Amino acid sequence: MSAPAASTTSSIPAPQVPQHRMSFGRWFAEIGWRHIVGILAVIFAVFPILFVISASLNPTGTVAATSLIPREFSFRHYESLLSGERGPFLRWYLNTVIVCFTVAFVQVFLSVMAAYAFSRFRFKGRRIGLLSLLLVMMFPAILSMIAIYTMISDLGKVVPLLGLDSVPGYLIILLGGSLGQVWLIKGFFDTVPKELDEAAIIDGANHWQVFTRILLPALVPILATTLLLSLVGVLSEFLLGSIFLTSDENKTLAVGLYGLLSENRSNNLGVFAAGSVMIMVPVIILYQFLQRYIVGGSTAGAVKG
Amino acid sequence: MQIRRKNFLALSGVAASVTLLAACGGDSDTDGGTGGGASDAGGASDAGGAEGGAEGVPARGDADLVIWADELKAKSLQEPAKTWADAQGITVEVQTVANDLQTNYVTANQAGNGPDIVLGAHDWIGNLVQNGAISPVQLPGDAADKVAPIGLQAVTYDGQTYGVPYAVETLVLYANNALTDVPEPGSIEELVEAAKAGGAEVVLSLPVGEQGDAYHMQPLYTSGGGYLFGTDAEGNQDPTDLGVGKEGSIAAAEKIGALGADGVLRTSITGDNAISLFTDGKAAYLISGPWALGDINTAGIDYAMSAVPGFEGMEPAKPFAGVNAFYVASNGQNAGFAQTFVGEVASNAEIAEQMFQSNNLPPVNLELQEKLSGEFPDMVKIAEFAELAEPMPSIPQMAAIWGPLGQAQANIVGGADPASTMEAAGEEIAGQIG
Amino acid sequence: MTSTSSPAAAQTRGTTTITSVLGRVLFLGVVLALVVFFAPLLIAQQLWMWLIVLIGSAIAIFVLYSTKRFIPGKYLFPGTFFLVVFLITPIILTVGYSFTNFGDGTRGTKEQAINSIVSNSVQQTADAPRYNMTVATMGSPTEGPFELWLLEPETGDVFRGSEEQPLEQVDASDVTVADGRVTEVPQGDVLDMREVNAVYNELQQLAVPVDDTSAIRPLSVNQAFVGTTVLQYDEERDVIVDTASGTEYSVAKVGDTEYFVGEDGRPAFSQSWLQNVGTKNYERLFTNSNIASQFLGAFTWTLVFAAGSVLSTFILGFALALILNDERLKGRRLYRSILLMPYAVPGFIALLVWSNFYNRDFGLINEMLNLNLNWFGDPTLAKVAVLLTNLWMGFPYMFIISTGALQSIPGDVLEAAKIDGASRFQATVKVVMPLLLVAVAPLLVASFAFNFNNFNAIELLTQGGPFPPGEFTRGSTDILISMIYRIAFGGSGADFGFASAVSVMLFVLTGILAAVQFRFTRALEDVN
Repeated sequence: MSAPAASTTSSIPAPQVPQHRMSFGRWFAEIGWRHIVGILAVIFAVFPILFVISASLNPTGTVAATSLIPREFSFRHYESLLSGERGPFLRWYLNTVIVCFTVAFVQVFLSVMAAYAFSRFRFKGRRIGLLSLLLVMMFPAILSMIAIYTMISDLGKVVPLLGLDSVPGYLIILLGGSLGQVWLIKGFFDTVPKELDEAAIIDGANHWQVFTRILLPALVPILATTLLLSLVGVLSEFLLGSIFLTSDENKTLAVGLYGLLSENRSNNLGVFAAGSVMIMVPVIILYQFLQRYIVGGSTAGAVKG
Repeated sequence: MQIRRKNFLALSGVAASVTLLAACGGDSDTDGGTGGGASDAGGASDAGGAEGGAEGVPARGDADLVIWADELKAKSLQEPAKTWADAQGITVEVQTVANDLQTNYVTANQAGNGPDIVLGAHDWIGNLVQNGAISPVQLPGDAADKVAPIGLQAVTYDGQTYGVPYAVETLVLYANNALTDVPEPGSIEELVEAAKAGGAEVVLSLPVGEQGDAYHMQPLYTSGGGYLFGTDAEGNQDPTDLGVGKEGSIAAAEKIGALGADGVLRTSITGDNAISLFTDGKAAYLISGPWALGDINTAGIDYAMSAVPGFEGMEPAKPFAGVNAFYVASNGQNAGFAQTFVGEVASNAEIAEQMFQSNNLPPVNLELQEKLSGEFPDMVKIAEFAELAEPMPSIPQMAAIWGPLGQAQANIVGGADPASTMEAAGEEIAGQIG
Repeated sequence: MTSTSSPAAAQTRGTTTITSVLGRVLFLGVVLALVVFFAPLLIAQQLWMWLIVLIGSAIAIFVLYSTKRFIPGKYLFPGTFFLVVFLITPIILTVGYSFTNFGDGTRGTKEQAINSIVSNSVQQTADAPRYNMTVATMGSPTEGPFELWLLEPETGDVFRGSEEQPLEQVDASDVTVADGRVTEVPQGDVLDMREVNAVYNELQQLAVPVDDTSAIRPLSVNQAFVGTTVLQYDEERDVIVDTASGTEYSVAKVGDTEYFVGEDGRPAFSQSWLQNVGTKNYERLFTNSNIASQFLGAFTWTLVFAAGSVLSTFILGFALALILNDERLKGRRLYRSILLMPYAVPGFIALLVWSNFYNRDFGLINEMLNLNLNWFGDPTLAKVAVLLTNLWMGFPYMFIISTGALQSIPGDVLEAAKIDGASRFQATVKVVMPLLLVAVAPLLVASFAFNFNNFNAIELLTQGGPFPPGEFTRGSTDILISMIYRIAFGGSGADFGFASAVSVMLFVLTGILAAVQFRFTRALEDVN
C-alpha cells in the first residue's frame, strides 16, 4: 500500500527489449495489438454516451431524429431544465447530492464497521451472520414495497420528518441497505495482515483505535471504490423514490427525470438526455478524482504476502 | 401535532448537543459505540433543523388542498388552482406523481396519506371504486346542458357520478400532405394504397411495440368486428360477456395480421418513436391523439386530420374515448375543500380554460368548445370525434385486458396465427377475471 | 453474540478515561430519553410494530454499549439496525401478507368497505334546489353540535335545521346575509371555511330530513344538496338493505373472498375487505401448473442471466485489464479513464437509451452495422441483447478492480514463473489468475446476488419480452423478479397476497442458493 505506483513497474517487465529498436512487426505483436483492442473497447464503451450527448444537443429532441454525431447544436434542453420550466431541477440536484452522499457515506461506514467485526473477531453466529446477510440482500426488496410504505406512513404519524414525501424519510429507507458492501469490504479486510493490528495492540491500542488508526487508512482505496459504487447505486434509484417522493421540491433527479420521460417518451428525450449529461459529468469528474486511490490501491487487498 | 413538534424540537436540540459531547469523548473510548452515537446525533439535529424550517416550505399536510396529477396535468393546473385558492383565502398544492399515479394514489389514500383530489382518466373509476378510494360527486342539475354527453357518460359508473370531467381524448388520423394525395382516406385500404403511391418510408405510424398497444390498436380491432365487453340490460359493461377470442375478434386479428405481413403495422414502431416518425416526415399517416398536435405543429408538417377510418366493407372504426376527470379522495384530509373545488370546475369553465392554455386537450365543456373553436379548430374537432368513439370501459376487469390483448395483437403483427393467438388471449383474460 | 476469541478483546481495558465514561453515560441517557419520549406517542397511535423496534433497539444498545463485552456486536449493531428495520421487517410483513387476500378491492377493513358502499349510494334528488350553506354552532367549532343555515339562491329564502331539528324557514331579516349566504346568525357562531373543512367528515353524518326519504346534506364547505342514501347497513343482521327496492345483500364467499352478494350469489358491489385466506395463495401457486412451470423456466433463465452477467463482465473487464496493463503502452491512463465512463452513467438512463438502440427498423445497432436483426422479437436475440447491455454497464467495474489487483501482484512472482520457463500466457493462467480470484471472489458473489434481482435491467429494457404467442405469464427474458412483479402489480389489478406468496417461495429458493454459495466461499476462506 505504501507505494502503489512502484509496483506497476515490476508487473510484466521486458527490460531486455529496448523499445526504439523494435521492428514494426515486433512492436505490433507486443504492443500494437493492445491499442487495437483498446480502441475497440473504447468504441464499445463510448457510443451510447455519444448518443446521449448528441440527443441532448439536438433541438428536436426525438429518438428518431437523433444520430451519434449531432447535426444541429442547441442548448435548448439545458436551458429549459436550468430555467426550472420542467420542474425545480436545481432543487432535485441538491436533494440528489444530499441523499447520495449521506447514504453512500453511512453505507460505507457501517459496512466497514461490520466488515471489521466479521473479519477480525471470531464469535458465535459469525458464519450464519454472513450467510444471512447475503440471503437478505438477495430478497427482492421491491416486492416488500407495500410493507415499507405502510411502515413509513406509520412512522410519519409520530415523526413527521421521517414520513412519506420527505427526503430524510426516503433516505432512511435507503439506509436499509447499509450492510450492502460488507462482503466486498470484508474480502479486502481479510487480506490486510493481522500482524499489523497485533503489533498495535501490543503497543497499547484498543480495538477502536486499531480500527480507526491502522485499518481504515490501509483500506482507503477500497473505501473509495465502494463509496463510488454505492453513490452511483443510489443515484439510479427511482422505483422507491417515485412512490415516496411526491412533492416537486422533494424529488431526486432520478425520480424527476424519469417523470419527464414517462410523460412523453418520444419527445422528451432531449431534455432527458440533457439531464443525464448533467448527472454523468459530476460522476465522471468524481471518478477521475478517486481514480488515483482506486487504481493504485485495490492492490492492498489482493495479496497479503 | 403542534405541541408535539415543539417538544420534539426541544428534545432533539438536547439530544444533538448531548450526543455530540458523547462523540467527542468517544475518541478515546473503548467501546466503539461512537459510530452509532454520532449518526444518531446527526439524525436528531437534522430533524430539529428541518422541522423548524418546514414552516416556509409547503409540505403535503400544510396546504389546505392537495391535488395529485401526472406531469403535464399538474403543470397546467398549478396556476388556475392557485388563483382559485387565493380567491378563497386558502392554500393549494398541486403535486406531480410521475410513476404509476393510480396505484400510488390508492396506496397512499388507504394509508391516510393521499391527496384530497386526484386527476386521472375515467377508466380508473372501476378500480378506484372497488378500493373505496373515491367519493361520489354531485354535479349541478344543469350539467347535461353544459358538458358534452361523452364526458358525463364516462364518469358515470353503476348509476353514480364519480368525477368531474374536463377534457376528452381520442385517436384520430393525421396525414402528411407532402407524402400522400389522400388527406382523408375513407378506409384503411385506401390509406395504404395512397401512402405506397406517395413512396413514404413508413405507411402508417401506429405504435405496436413488442408488447403490443391495445389502446392504439382499438380502432382496427373494432372495425374488424372485435369488442371487449358486452353490455347488460342497464347498459353497464358486463365482464361475463368477453369479446376477446370470439368470432369478431378473430376476424379483426386476421385483418391485423394481414397488415403486419404487408409491413404496414410493425412491432418496431413503438410509443417512443411513433410521433417522431411522423414529425420527421418519414411516415405518411399517423394514428395518435390530441397530444401529438403540439409536436406536429412545432415540426411544421402540412397535415390533415380526420377520423380514423375502418377496413373496407367492415364496421366503422371506434377508438377509445378517454375522459380526464377530477376525483375527490375518500380519505383526504380536506374533503370539504375538495368538494368545493370540483364543484367549481363542474359549474364553471374557467379553470378548464386556464388549464387548456398550458396543456391543450379537447375540452368537454360545451361553452369552452364554442369559445376555442376559432383559435383551436383541431382541438374542438377531436372533441367532436370523441362523441363517435366509445368510452374506455371503466370496470376493474379492464385491467386484465390490456396486457394479453396487446401482446396477442403484437404477436399477430409479428406473424403469429391470428385465430389461435386471439383465442389464447381470450382464455388468459377470462382466467384472470375469474 | 459473544466474543469468544479475539486478539483485541483481551486488550480492551487500559485506557478508560473520564470522558469516555461520561460520554457513554450521556449517550445511553439520550437513548433512554428517546424511548421515554416516543413510546407514549407510539402507544397512542397504536403503532405496535414501531414500539417493538424502539424498545428492542434500546435494549440492544444498552446491552451492547454499556459494558466492555460484546465487541463485535458494537460494530455490527448500527448497520444491523437499519437492515432489520428496513429490510427484514418488511420481509416479515410480506410473509404475513402471503396468508391474506390483500390486493385491489381488498385493501381495507370491512367497515371501510361498508362505508364506501353506503356513501356511494347517495343520489341527488333531481330538480331539487342547491342551497348556499352556512354552518353554525352553539358549542365549539370543533365538537359541535352543528346547525345548517341554508339560503335558497333563487328565492332568497333562509332555512335552518340540524339532525334533530327538522328544516324550518326563518325570517331573512333575523340573519345577516351577504354575497348570497348567511354570515351571521342570531344565536351561536358561524364557522369559517377552514373550520367547516376541518369538521367536514362529521358534517356528513348531519342530514337534515326534508321528507321521508330525502335529506339535505352538506356538499362542499359552502353548499348543500338534497339527496337520498339508497343503501343502509343493518349491523345486527350484517346485511346491506336497499331502502328503495327492499333488496337485501348479505355476506357470502365468492372464491376465497367475502363480498356482499345479491340473490344470484354474485358480488353486488366490487368493494371487499382484507381477509385471512390461510395457505390458499400457496395452494394456488402449486396447483396452477402454468405458473409453477413458468416459475422453473424463469428460475433457470435467472441463473443464466445472473451468472452470465457476472462472468461476461468479469472476463471482459479482466481481459482488458491484462491487455492494457503493459507499461510500454502509451495512453494507458486515457484508456482507463474512458473505459470507466459507462459506469458513471446512472443505470436507468443507460437502459432506456439502450432499449432504443435495439429497435429493428430504427435502432442504432441495426442501422450502423447494416443488420436487420429482430433484437427484441426473437427470444434468443433478446437474451443476447439483455446480456450485452448488462455487459456494457458492468465491465468497467470489473476492469478497474482487476487493474488494481493486477498491479498489486509482486513482480517477483512473475519473474519466478518466467525463470521456470513459463510463457507469458502460462504465467497469467497459472500465477495471476488464482491470486486475483482470491481477491475478487466475494465481489463476484455480491455481483451475482445483485443481478439475481436486477429488476431494472429487464423492466427498462425488454419488459420481459418477447412473449411467445399464446403465452402471457412469462416472456423470454423474464427473470423471476420481473415475472413476479407483473403478477403482483400488472394483470388484473394488484394481487399482493399472491405476489407475497410467490416472493416467499423465491426467498426460500435463494436461501438454498445462498447456502450453496456459502459452501463455495468457505472453501475459498480455507484457501486464504
